[in-house]
Amino acid sequence: MLATRSVARLAAQQSHQLGAAPKHARNMATLREIELRLKSVKNIEKITKSMKMIASTKLAKAQRAMVAGKEYGVANSELFQHTPSETPTKNKLFVVISSDKGLCGGIHSSVSKATRRAIADPETVDPDSSIMVIGDKSKGQLSRLLSNNLALTFNQIGRDIPTFADAAGVADLIIQSGVEYDTIAIVYNKFVSAISYESAIVEYEMEDDVTKDLAEFSLANAIYAALVEGHACEQSARYVPSSSEFTCLMFRNAMDNASKNAKDMIDRLTMQYNRGRQAAITNELVDIITDYWYPSVVDPLIVRQ
Amino acid sequence: MSSATWRGVFTYNKYAQITARAVRQSLNETERVAAEKRGTTALKYQKWENGVGGQQVLLIPEVDKTAA
Repeated sequence: MLATRSVARLAAQQSHQLGAAPKHARNMATLREIELRLKSVKNIEKITKSMKMIASTKLAKAQRAMVAGKEYGVANSELFQHTPSETPTKNKLFVVISSDKGLCGGIHSSVSKATRRAIADPETVDPDSSIMVIGDKSKGQLSRLLSNNLALTFNQIGRDIPTFADAAGVADLIIQSGVEYDTIAIVYNKFVSAISYESAIVEYEMEDDVTKDLAEFSLANAIYAALVEGHACEQSARYVPSSSEFTCLMFRNAMDNASKNAKDMIDRLTMQYNRGRQAAITNELVDIITDYWYPSVVDPLIVRQ
Repeated sequence: MSSATWRGVFTYNKYAQITARAVRQSLNETERVAAEKRGTTALKYQKWENGVGGQQVLLIPEVDKTAA
């Protein structure tokens, strides 16, 4: 009788383990998956946090440069305020100011939309007006719908604070391109505050007979002012100090959100992982306990299995 | 020596950039390094015809550093 009992227990253990192996393996696989996910999300959180740090120092630097660059723009526009244009003209050349880099919220689409809106208005703008774009992101957006209007595009600006050399180069290329226009409309993002910006269009009319030098220089000036202000808006779009009131603004902080999302995911996954781990341990305990005393209690049932 | 012959060759902006480069190169070491940063540009441009972009061209072609 003792022999049959031990044989029965052995059979029970084997059958029980054979039946239970897939369930255990499934638990282990899920736990392993969760562990891997947890590790990768933690890495992502580290990356987004450091990007936020870098962006915040860049923002301070860009703001200082913008304040200095705005003086050029103010001086420029003062001259034009004293000489208002007689009749509004329809043949405009649009110069769209954006940059090559992403992860800054709606910066590029803001200027692209403003340009599309302006061109769509047949009262004020000739629909065949030329567009010149600084920055690959807006170039991509505008080339989808208005590619026939594109005349020149520029890139490699905006990695660092834009220099007057950049603006002078762009101005020269515009002048030498031979595109016909009556006024130049510069589309850029105006810096409203450290947490908001809005698109703006500034128009310049040039008379290049006597004042050719001045026309060329003021074009470079205007482009420089717009470049620097747009750069500051972009830096602020990448980093916004979190505060309770920013949730009601339409403008978002890309990196801050990403870090927060990553942290939420980490908490959720950790909870899931711990629960899974505890469940696996409990299952194993139950198996061990039932393996130990179950056969001794219900012998004939096990033998039949 | 006429003072206006350059106007037929290049724009006022180019003239200003050339003179600025001369001033920068004449500064003392630390100021020169700071000023050089303000004068750098890596601008690339691309001409578009009928909705198709052309070749991307560097505005200032890269100088071969070994030759100088």
